[in-house]
Amino acid sequence: MAQRSIKQRGSTAWLSKESQREALAGYLFILPTFIGYTAFIIGPILAAIGFSLTSYDILSPPEFVGLENYTNLLTDPRLQKVYLNTIYFTVVAVSLNVGIGLLLAVLINRHMPSFLKYIFRTAYFFPVLVALSYCSIIWQYLYQKDTGIINYYLSYLNVDAIPWLSSPQYVMPSIILMDVWKNSGFAMLVFLAGLQNIPQDYFEAAELDGANRWQLFRYVTLPLISPTLFFNVIIYMIGALQVFDSIVVLTQGGPGDGSRSIVMYIYENAFQLFQMGYASAVAITLFIIIMLLTLVQFRVGQAWVHYE
Amino acid sequence: MSSEIVNPTPTRAVERTSAQVQPGSSILNKLPDIVAIAVLSVGALIMLLPFLWMFATSLRPIQESFRLPPAWFPTEFHFETYAAVFDSSVPLLAFASNSIKVTFFVTLGQLVTCSMAGYAFARLRFPFRNALFLLLLASLMVPGQVTIIPVFIIMRQLKLVDNHLSIILPFLTSAFGVFLLRQFFLTLPQDLIDAAKIDGAGPWTTFLRVAIPLAGPSLAALTIITFNNTWNNYFYPLIFLNTWEKMTLPLGITALRGYMASNSASVIMAAVTLAILPVLLVFLIGQRWFIAGITRTGIKG
Repeated sequence: MAQRSIKQRGSTAWLSKESQREALAGYLFILPTFIGYTAFIIGPILAAIGFSLTSYDILSPPEFVGLENYTNLLTDPRLQKVYLNTIYFTVVAVSLNVGIGLLLAVLINRHMPSFLKYIFRTAYFFPVLVALSYCSIIWQYLYQKDTGIINYYLSYLNVDAIPWLSSPQYVMPSIILMDVWKNSGFAMLVFLAGLQNIPQDYFEAAELDGANRWQLFRYVTLPLISPTLFFNVIIYMIGALQVFDSIVVLTQGGPGDGSRSIVMYIYENAFQLFQMGYASAVAITLFIIIMLLTLVQFRVGQAWVHYE
Repeated sequence: MSSEIVNPTPTRAVERTSAQVQPGSSILNKLPDIVAIAVLSVGALIMLLPFLWMFATSLRPIQESFRLPPAWFPTEFHFETYAAVFDSSVPLLAFASNSIKVTFFVTLGQLVTCSMAGYAFARLRFPFRNALFLLLLASLMVPGQVTIIPVFIIMRQLKLVDNHLSIILPFLTSAFGVFLLRQFFLTLPQDLIDAAKIDGAGPWTTFLRVAIPLAGPSLAALTIITFNNTWNNYFYPLIFLNTWEKMTLPLGITALRGYMASNSASVIMAAVTLAILPVLLVFLIGQRWFIAGITRTGIKG
């Protein structure tokens, strides 16, 4: 198909007036997007790489320091802590969000009245739409040690008041719990669409062959929704590595650096300490990690994602 | 049973025989569905409880915000919390109008730029088209925190810090929006575009008169997604806006929480309730397109 159209184009007139007009229109059509793209993505990335080689406090001009910021990264104990927090958050939150999203989708995709499907879909998806900062405000009250309602109900089960947000032990699980409550609905919705795209014949054929429920899920459903699974993992992973709003509102990174994420650390260095150079270097490491993980996912994905 | 007599279709007959072969299997077959509904109902309740608590608390007298047991359903209606939100020295109405303004211009901008670029990448032929598209898609991987430091420095040079342009300009186009609309424009029948060409329509006319009128649902999806992202954005306003008069809702309400006395949860919940309301309305009206937009990009992902 593609080859034929290229041939046609090549043999008729790539340089005909009409083609020229079309190409010109094409460039004009993408011009506004590329102006924005250059000004706010490409340019800033290059500038960030440049700034990361300087010492820059915004008031005086940047001063070239070579790789000093990067060598400082290696010995910054706070950076290690915030990276560990971010990785912990990413691994657990992505697994739970995607896992629970899939479970919900499989359950909702079962046989039930359509109004129930609608209610469930809406209820599970609604928190996705509400700003993370608002959700965090609400949950901050729910998580209060003495006045919060979670501890109030736990006290009926004879559980001592849990310092959800103020102990280093509980703070990350608390942030993850809220994140899963807020975000698993997105995965559910994407999985649900994936599940509804599977032709019913496949299940019937497998059932005739004597497959049980688990085998149906494992050998029919899972391979067929693997592109959706892959999409969800990538989207959640990129989002989780940038976790910021929820932690700022819930704990401001505390106790100590107990819940500080890498983006909070970038924010603190850039906009509170005005160490633009060092903050840029940290941001570049995050960029490289996201890019590498995404590329690895795509490579690994070729082995287990089945596209039809 | 009576319906079987009235309308004995072959499928029903088959169902009945299989039921006879395995007595009681219909209940056994339905049991997993019932369990699924039960599990989902409990889960759905948990999803909604925090919002229910928010609303019930917003209607409590200010002094009783924290009284336990918590309120799940409003028993009294103390709208003074809502009055307190508007009476306080914090300009909530200004936050709301700022949010509306920023959201409007960002959404409008994306509809124009993304539909044009999406159409070009799907339907117009020009050199380096695919390379440029891939370059654009690659930007989806770039975390906003990498670009924000240089963007902040640019905005500072342009004296746009604490100006709404600083949080509008960077969002006037989006790679996601271009991708979403390109996926749609790819599905338009080629005959339609050829017919317009034969009638002498140039690319602009074809785009405006043929393609855009058919793109309604996709444009609606982009509108709702962009509306939501912009309405909820916290990171950019936090960095660029610093006076009360300029703040948008998420930033202003978060600041309000620190500003109010710590025992006035009900006033803060009233403010949050007011801020969530438009999202709820937009979602209930536009759920169909919203879901279509997400799933269309998700499945093809």
